[in-house]
Amino acid sequence: MPRETSPKIISNGRRYMGNMAVASVLYTAAVFGGAFAIRDESLPQWGVILAALAPLIPALLMLRAYVIFLNGVDEFQRRIQTDAMLISAAVVGFGSFAYGFLEEWAGFPHLPLIWVFPALIGIWGLAACVLRLRYK
Amino acid sequence: MRNRLKVLRAERNWSQADLAEKLDVSRQSVNAIETGKYDPSLPLAFKIAAVFGLPIEQIFSADEAAQAAE
Repeated sequence: MPRETSPKIISNGRRYMGNMAVASVLYTAAVFGGAFAIRDESLPQWGVILAALAPLIPALLMLRAYVIFLNGVDEFQRRIQTDAMLISAAVVGFGSFAYGFLEEWAGFPHLPLIWVFPALIGIWGLAACVLRLRYK
Repeated sequence: MRNRLKVLRAERNWSQADLAEKLDVSRQSVNAIETGKYDPSLPLAFKIAAVFGLPIEQIFSADEAAQAAE
């Protein structure tokens, strides 16, 4: 399959990768820094809360990188991305809703809420790949 | 919706990548439009018409209109 040659598309992709790389490095630093900080038992409660929420800032930078990327793609690519997001939201939304009932009524093991966002991102990526193949 | 993109592109000896660059869209987008898997928005359809220098109705036609003409 020929590669994309449009300078606008190439620069948009490069900018996305660059922004995402910076956000990923900051995210890793925030997770490890936060995990290290909460080991200090003298840390006040507000400090623990700040440490726990620290990874959200780079996660928001990732979201910003994605929004900038989405604004730079053409309408067809945007359609693929928004369809994939919709599929992901539906799968994770209904999946977590169903699992909530199973937890409450059928004694299924408790799953932490922290997995919701990674599941959303993972299924969105998978759905985008499948949709791209569909339009090939 | 049907279109004559492939024929018009071949007449001008343009690759999908050439057309994509002229339209400022991805090559995959041109392919999806050309194969009828994706219908472009009105602004993009007008842009396609401008690139080929043709009226929009000479490039795109509704399925029913194309069937009636056959």
